[in-house]
Amino acid sequence: MEKELTIDILSSVQKPARYTGGEFGSIIKPAEETEVTIALAFPDLYEVGMSYLGFKILYHLLNKEAGVQAERVYAPWIDMETKMRERNIPLRTLETEKTLAECDIVGFTLQYELSYTNILNMLELGGVPVLAAERGEEDPFVIVGGPCVYNPEPLADFFDFAIIGEGEEVMIELMDSYKAWKKAGKVGGRKGFLNEVVKIKGIYVPSFYEAMYNDDNTVKEVKPLRDDVPAVIEKRVVKDMNSIDFPNAPIVPFNDIVHDRIMLEVFRGCSRGCRFCHAGMVYRPVRERKPEVLKELARQLVDNTGYNEMSLVSLSSADYSCLAPLVHDLIAEFKEKRVSVSLPSLRIDSFSVDIAKEVQAVRKSGLTFAPEAGSQKMRDVINKGVTEEDLMNAVSAAFKSGWNSVKLYFMIGLPFETDEDILAIADLAKKVQYKYFEITGKRGCKVTVSASGFVPKPYTAFQWFAQNDIETLRRKQFLLKDALKVKNITFQYHDAKTSVVEAIFARGDRRLGKALLAAWKMGARFDGWSDCFSYDRWLEALAEVGLDKDFYAARTRGENEVFPWEHVQPAVSRKFLWREWEKAQAQELTHDCRRSTCTGCGVCQKLGVEIIDYKRGEA
Amino acid sequence: MKLRMQITKDRDIRFISHLEYVRTIERAIRRAKLPAAYSEGFNPHLKFSLASALGVGVVSYTEFVEIELAEPMEVELAAKALDKALPRGIRVLAADAVANNTAALMAEAAGASYVVTLPFAEDISEAVASYNEAEELLFKKAAPKRKEKFKEIDVKFYIPKIAVEQKDGKTSFAFECKITPTGSMKAVDLLNALNEAYALNLPVEMADIERHTLYKVNKYGKKLPMLNKDAFKM
Repeated sequence: MEKELTIDILSSVQKPARYTGGEFGSIIKPAEETEVTIALAFPDLYEVGMSYLGFKILYHLLNKEAGVQAERVYAPWIDMETKMRERNIPLRTLETEKTLAECDIVGFTLQYELSYTNILNMLELGGVPVLAAERGEEDPFVIVGGPCVYNPEPLADFFDFAIIGEGEEVMIELMDSYKAWKKAGKVGGRKGFLNEVVKIKGIYVPSFYEAMYNDDNTVKEVKPLRDDVPAVIEKRVVKDMNSIDFPNAPIVPFNDIVHDRIMLEVFRGCSRGCRFCHAGMVYRPVRERKPEVLKELARQLVDNTGYNEMSLVSLSSADYSCLAPLVHDLIAEFKEKRVSVSLPSLRIDSFSVDIAKEVQAVRKSGLTFAPEAGSQKMRDVINKGVTEEDLMNAVSAAFKSGWNSVKLYFMIGLPFETDEDILAIADLAKKVQYKYFEITGKRGCKVTVSASGFVPKPYTAFQWFAQNDIETLRRKQFLLKDALKVKNITFQYHDAKTSVVEAIFARGDRRLGKALLAAWKMGARFDGWSDCFSYDRWLEALAEVGLDKDFYAARTRGENEVFPWEHVQPAVSRKFLWREWEKAQAQELTHDCRRSTCTGCGVCQKLGVEIIDYKRGEA
Repeated sequence: MKLRMQITKDRDIRFISHLEYVRTIERAIRRAKLPAAYSEGFNPHLKFSLASALGVGVVSYTEFVEIELAEPMEVELAAKALDKALPRGIRVLAADAVANNTAALMAEAAGASYVVTLPFAEDISEAVASYNEAEELLFKKAAPKRKEKFKEIDVKFYIPKIAVEQKDGKTSFAFECKITPTGSMKAVDLLNALNEAYALNLPVEMADIERHTLYKVNKYGKKLPMLNKDAFKM
């Protein structure tokens, strides 16, 4: 076949290697051995999508299955999209160069609300009808999964079914189901297959449910249209991380991708219980991998990839029960092979700094901590469980070890926040800077303060909270900016407008699908990229379909309001979340259940799983 | 010892950049577990180099990599191990070994041969004939990363002669291009120079550029292969 992406096209776009595949470790199976082709579709650039561990896991696992060909497809950047549209070139997978229309299943991951328009755009570029209702017998099934699937409703018009929770087991069941359906002659057509998949636990078929609304526009209920589908779909969860497969030979890209290193997943879940944190709720419970398993995986990954850097990833790697010995052993074992070990995030304590010292023997470029809030009151509201003393101890340890720059992450626009709490962020940054002077006798410590606007997410204690409006967020940003006009302190913040659109979709309902479609038709895509985002376009789209942004983003929900997402469950009980919301108001803390008593979120009991932590009971 | 291998950059991966190509080979050397030498210091790096840089989009059947080894290894084994560790799109074609104190490959490369094909049907034999007879042909090439800055070069110094073949609506140029210690010129700039000097409309953006050989020359100007005669062939 003559290449559609001709020399002149590829020579004219940025980073053409995004579109040409052929990387070491990419898998192409003979067509005659392929019974089902699934495209793992990432609705953002290659460099972002290739860094996503979830798809590395699924690519590996699915391709290990006989008869299954898993392939990759990413959103083309604007320059390439323009060329494709000019010349009618469809979006194809990188492996066997199928158009999305030629795949059996196209699976999108929902990482971020602002990537939703890219899903619509990729479907259209790939020749697949954007609306599920318009797909015919020859079209692929469009499926979704990933963290934002816990409120899939704004996308309900566009996908055929959703995978709720961890994909390792359910995706294999889905492949088996597809093969059987195909072998039997595709009995019952599309609907016939939906009738099959709805029997699989953790699969949600939105067309089998109807959303009903109250007069005040809130959701009355989302109810099944038939008796044989579950009223509530609970997430799938892997019981034991030691017994499931982990990708030991991932694709090694040519390009410089965002996380261009070995990613070793040390555990899944986090139960620190920060009240703003979506991941901390939906990935429960904590399940660790054994150090021996991790070391063996590390060996295979080093051999198979040739990478010289390895990152120990999880939601909070410093909490891994065997971290110090693991890091020590990995460094010792791979020193000869010149492989360095790194941690993506640090806990605010001197233990973390000690580990950081060990792993960053060379580069003392900068350390990042996330106090999340400036005042003790606010840190108690969010259940951060960290004091100013903890932070001072951590930075003291860092400065004593030779670091001279620190980055601090905060959120603004949190519940119960006053101007004093905002100014406390500036005070804290200055105290950190002064600590450097106290310890080293020198000035010039660089402190970077990064503050992002808080977006309330479903299935968190703050799901009832009305997001600060743009004016309030802006005023707080400027208040902080003025208070941080200090030499060697840098202040970074984001456009409050993107936080609002994110908030609308995070807690949105089915009706928002129309706004999404309208915005995309007006040209919205890559909304997560500030140079592509247009707030006015979103306002126009919402107005066109008669929806109100404040209803979704800036409205306090009542205690008993039915949420649009409640039929899709990470199994965290609503009672627990409400209790956490009340405790937030009272500035009361909730402890971490990881090595202590149960705090009653209900996940373990409901799903029949257990916390796996190798220091459990010791604390 | 230093391993020298002739490797390719095939059509499917022609659009990876030189830096991406270099990094890919580095990781392949590590995957192949060749006993490569590392530099000293805080950030040790693998001691290897490529004979010449290849532009994005250019296919090559003749790139050369030179790898310094910390301990000796049989050439054939090393070549096979590296071939297996490379992505499809880069193949090992031949390999040999030289002593550590041999001059770097980069310094030895003296010329490369190219075939450039583009969709172009107008007869250009006259332009080619006058190019081949010309004493010099000055061309202002854009300086890297600074489009407003130009450097004047004599295209004829680098590419004394071109052969052309035209059929089926396509035009193919075959030529050799000098590589000197102070630099060389891009194949694509030959097309730009021809367009400028002879008012042609060659569609430069469609040019399919292949590098076929890379060679050194002896003091009599005779072309010699980069690898020894008895090099191992895959």
